[in-house]
Amino acid sequence: MTMFTRHVSRQLGALLDGELAEQEARRVETHVAQCASCRGEREQVQLGMEILRRLPPVEAPDAIWVGIEAALEEHRSRRVWAIRWWRLAFAASLILALAGGTYWSVRRGAGQWIETDSVSSITLKVGQIGSVEIAPNTRLRVVTARPGEHRLALARGEIRAKISAPPRLFFVDTASGTAVDLGCEYTLNTDEDGLGLLRVTKGWVSFQWKGLESLVPAGAMCRTQPHIGPGIPCFEDAPESLKKALETNSLDTILAEARVRDTLTLWHLLSRVAVEDRARVYDRIASLTPVPTGVTREQALKLDPETLRRWKDELAWTW
Amino acid sequence: MLRLGIAVCAVVALALGQGFTFTIGNPVASQDFQAKSAAFVFRTEGCADPAKSQIGGTAEGVVKGARRSISLKVVATSRPGVYAVYQNWPGEGDWVVNLKGTCANASAGAVVPIGPKGFVRESAKFFPRAATDAEIETSLKAIAQGGSK
Repeated sequence: MTMFTRHVSRQLGALLDGELAEQEARRVETHVAQCASCRGEREQVQLGMEILRRLPPVEAPDAIWVGIEAALEEHRSRRVWAIRWWRLAFAASLILALAGGTYWSVRRGAGQWIETDSVSSITLKVGQIGSVEIAPNTRLRVVTARPGEHRLALARGEIRAKISAPPRLFFVDTASGTAVDLGCEYTLNTDEDGLGLLRVTKGWVSFQWKGLESLVPAGAMCRTQPHIGPGIPCFEDAPESLKKALETNSLDTILAEARVRDTLTLWHLLSRVAVEDRARVYDRIASLTPVPTGVTREQALKLDPETLRRWKDELAWTW
Repeated sequence: MLRLGIAVCAVVALALGQGFTFTIGNPVASQDFQAKSAAFVFRTEGCADPAKSQIGGTAEGVVKGARRSISLKVVATSRPGVYAVYQNWPGEGDWVVNLKGTCANASAGAVVPIGPKGFVRESAKFFPRAATDAEIETSLKAIAQGGSK
């Protein structure tokens, strides 16, 4: 076995990121095991990374970002940015001394891509209306960044959005539709094939695709598919049998298992089942909760927009 | 004649009171984005003039064995008669929201248990008056015993 005579400080970051080739990684590990100086330095880098992960997010001054950007310039690819935690740990160590223990958040202009690697996550400020946490292994692009519209395009991965603004200012495009913020917090996940899952924790989100819309309130989730758009939303606490029946399109089971709260699911189903099944869905909703004044069976089965809207507004009190 | 008049007035007042109630719901029911962070929303029903109704309440809880009562943060939404309740009670302990309101000569009350995932609709109790202390304590005990979670 070859014994290193030089310290391996410059390889420590890549080692911790898992970026060294196998043989090189073994050599560096061997040296660290036998060198107290390098072993101590590795512990410091690990500690810096851990501290950074645990710090609360606070917007950093723009001047600091300029410095970080310069340090990252040599590794920036043509369109994709990969944020390396270990470099940020060194840069952030300066920030910590000045700002008393915060980590940075970033701003991006329209057209720019953001990509995180397997261990990195960042927080993206959305103008003055909120923020988006970008999970590891995520790739997205800033489409629009102006006061009247903030739009991202999520290619793959997961984001968690927290938006505090009037509705319809924040949009996220995916291969299977667009999530329209109506004042909310939610998690949106999409894979390389465009299959997605929207989970809303506060407020509500409208997921839209070519005229098809699913309204997803807090506590509910909705699957999305490319070329099909948003699925039927259901509450996270819905019976497992109902959730499974939604995936297999088993209307009998959905109707049988639906609770009062699951009129969220049934209301969306009304306009998506075959014509001959609409009456069954209507009758099931009517058996769970009184039909409001102004909503008639005839108009509901015709999918009259005003009738459906009025019924939804009343059903929402049971969701 | 005087007695008859009093009796008629009493019947009318009673009839008015029976119609005034609360309905609770998920913030989405308010259709007001500003209510998105609310613990829950509620609306008054059976009130001829919601703008003149008096609405309020308290959060009642038990934290580490100590009984607590906090004045409730109730905010009117953009829709008449619809209100949002925001959590201003601690996350620890067992809590219920005690709602009370009046409309003309009518009163209404509700006790809404709060669970780890938010308000527990199925265990909420509604009254044609403000809830009594005993009814509030009953709800708190039910939470402590796991009956409302």
